[in-house]
Amino acid sequence: MRFGRVILVVAAALLLGSAAPALAQTFVFGAQGEPVQFDPAVITDGISSRIIRQVYDTLYQFKAGSTEVEPALAEKADVSADGKVWTLQLRRNVKFHDGEPLDANAVVWNIERWMKTSHPQHANQLKAGQTFEYFEGQFGGFDDKSIIAKVEAASSHTVRITLKQPQAPFLQNLAMFPFGIASPKAVEKWGTDYGKHPVGTGAYKFVEWKPNQEVVLEPNPDYWETKAKNKRVVVRNIKDNSQRLAALKAGEVHAMEGVNPDDVRVIRADPNLQVLLRPTNTTGYVAFNYKVKEFQKKEVRQAIAHAINKKAIVDALYGGTGLVASQFQPPPLWGHNKELKDFEYSPSKAQDLMKQAGFGQGLSQITWEDGKQEPLSFWYMPVSRPYYPNPKEIAEAMAADLGKVGIKVQLQTVEWAVYLDKRKNGQLPLYMLGWTGDNGDPDNFVCYFFCNPGAAREGFYSNKPLADLLLRAATLTTQSERARLYRQAEQMIHDDVARVFIANNQPPLGFSKKVKGYVPSPLGDERFNTVEVQ
Amino acid sequence: MTQYAIRRALTIVPVLLGVSILVFSFVHMIPGDPALAMLGERATPEKVAEVRQRLGLDRPIYQQYIIYLGKVVQGDFGISIVRGDPVAKDLLRRFPATVELATSAILLALLFGIPIGIVSAVWRNSWMDSASRVWALVGVSMPIFWLGVMLAWFFGVQLGWLPTGFRLDSATEYRPWTNFVVLDALLNGSWGVVRDALRHLLLPAIALATIPLAVIARMTRASMLEVLSREYIRTAEAKGLPQVSVILRHALGNALLPVMTVVGLQVGRLLAGAILTETIFSWPGIGLWVYEAIGSRDYAIVQGASLFIAVIFVTVNLVTDLLYAVADPRIKYD
Repeated sequence: MRFGRVILVVAAALLLGSAAPALAQTFVFGAQGEPVQFDPAVITDGISSRIIRQVYDTLYQFKAGSTEVEPALAEKADVSADGKVWTLQLRRNVKFHDGEPLDANAVVWNIERWMKTSHPQHANQLKAGQTFEYFEGQFGGFDDKSIIAKVEAASSHTVRITLKQPQAPFLQNLAMFPFGIASPKAVEKWGTDYGKHPVGTGAYKFVEWKPNQEVVLEPNPDYWETKAKNKRVVVRNIKDNSQRLAALKAGEVHAMEGVNPDDVRVIRADPNLQVLLRPTNTTGYVAFNYKVKEFQKKEVRQAIAHAINKKAIVDALYGGTGLVASQFQPPPLWGHNKELKDFEYSPSKAQDLMKQAGFGQGLSQITWEDGKQEPLSFWYMPVSRPYYPNPKEIAEAMAADLGKVGIKVQLQTVEWAVYLDKRKNGQLPLYMLGWTGDNGDPDNFVCYFFCNPGAAREGFYSNKPLADLLLRAATLTTQSERARLYRQAEQMIHDDVARVFIANNQPPLGFSKKVKGYVPSPLGDERFNTVEVQ
Repeated sequence: MTQYAIRRALTIVPVLLGVSILVFSFVHMIPGDPALAMLGERATPEKVAEVRQRLGLDRPIYQQYIIYLGKVVQGDFGISIVRGDPVAKDLLRRFPATVELATSAILLALLFGIPIGIVSAVWRNSWMDSASRVWALVGVSMPIFWLGVMLAWFFGVQLGWLPTGFRLDSATEYRPWTNFVVLDALLNGSWGVVRDALRHLLLPAIALATIPLAVIARMTRASMLEVLSREYIRTAEAKGLPQVSVILRHALGNALLPVMTVVGLQVGRLLAGAILTETIFSWPGIGLWVYEAIGSRDYAIVQGASLFIAVIFVTVNLVTDLLYAVADPRIKYD
């Protein structure tokens, strides 16, 4: 009896303080996992980039909710007539969180650190096993390989960057999170440990990182743009999607990413919660291997494009956040071709095309160029991706659609790394994959896939005119001219049925209705300074 | 006894060597190139080659193992591939959270499992016995993952009584000392922190305790039934001793030995169960850390943590063996 009473007393004591402590004016964001670190130059993961966005500014930045860029630490940027010399005028009276001034020397120091492998703060990172991956990707490489020939301080607040050749998305690239400007003094002070002590000029100062738990930020009172509308930001690491949703429903976090498609309806049905969608910047597709003789016939590719009921898949399997994709670039990108007419869903047309191709009796066996025959396998990835949130179910739906027109596929998958490996080596006959854009520029979307004709990685697809057109578009500086070329490229991809584009997804974010002022970004590039918790 | 303890301790060495080979081989046998898994859709052949070289994956596997073992012996578990931090340092930092959770779970399991087992045995075939047997069966079969999610939804979301995860509320001020939050708060006399920590601890501890509780209850019942049928118990009853004294002093003491073995083995299961429980409840211990490392293919962490857990497991079993002698003076080790 006495034992029972003790239990009761302990339980009562525990439950008596069950009201959550006051979180007023603290914005708590539920992230999908643990950040890696906060040195923008060396990280590549989305979870760390979320924090980095709050702590650092870039020279140019993406407009809220858009892939277009606007001035940030640089008030304006002028480019020479030949497109090679950029002159950036820096904003005055901006200070890093450690009190150091943001001036041309600091910016030159940052760019040289990214670019030169001999820079002490670059060399030490290499030695520690880190790489400046984004700089290499966006600016052609390091040292002599870099597209940047020279960077210099023309005056105290003017930076001049000379390129070896014009780069159309130069400002888009500078607006990406890896090019956040760090305090040179802080980087030199902490060396390879700097990623745990980030110092930028952003709306928030870094306060604390509790490993496997949370990151705490506090407003920068001297911020040059909109000062934070909340008093504290806590980004909590909740690995499991269902538990993150539980925390949102219990009021322990105010916002969450990584909402399962099925949970979108759960959040919408809750009167205290709301769903906001990130504008789409991601496309899921079905790709062919051109070493398979059957797929060399355009009619077969067209038949597959007509056979798949994309709308039914999007309606049933994207939790209401998907859009039917007609082409590679999603609608918000300025290279998207609005005039392009997609293949309509028509099983009868697909059957006619199969007959024309000589497969009136159906297709279940394929022949590789080397003569090897095997059953037609259709590969889906084993992991959820933004463009395919339910890959297995989506694959099953597509297989059923294909079956209706006589194309019998065997569904297959394998561990993610092996999947990517097989794709890289051109071993998958018919497979699902997709892409999420990095910087809102069409080049980032299309060139990776179509600028290397015949690459094994792209199923040996070879279209030289398309590649030439894309390479030319990447060097022009007039956006309207580039847009025309990218629209033309989309039409060429469509006409050749190089891929079948299935869906664009608008990744959902869950919020408490107390949250106001959160603007979802197609690039996942949201800033928290405009967020209010009421 | 001392000789036995030393001999027994020495047998740990080949066991751990075997474990290290197994862990190393398993991690490397997982299909797929870790470099490719890390780089994802954006992998280029040059990048993959560079990452493979950086991780030492381009060397023969036996060389990788020998280098690894040489470092482990010196307490160097390597550097996290993803984060670049020393694994050993992170292990020690996260270990207290796991110990706190596992200890709470085992205490809960003992606190409830043994009385349930006793009641079940003493009132054999009564409704209480049936209920406890059904409960034990359900407990053993319960997937921790499902139970954890249900507990969090019911007590955290529906009733709003307890938090759905973490060790402390975000607003709670806590300065770590030993990293055992409850202990630190008790030593500091911070009662608010103690209460907050216990509120956070309760649900994951219940989830983790469920299986050991059921196992302990069943073992206690079986062991008690056997002891209760012995003649010395009948003698004690015939002497007119009160039933409570017969059960608790004469029967329970003798019935506990097999229960101790089970508890020792359950510690290993607790550490494995912690991976799921910590993930569900965002508990910042070794389990959550390993779960994330498996996802990102951080070999160094998976190997280091597995080896560390194996060390704990064999040590606990060694201690359990040695404790037999304390519990039962008749046992002699020669």
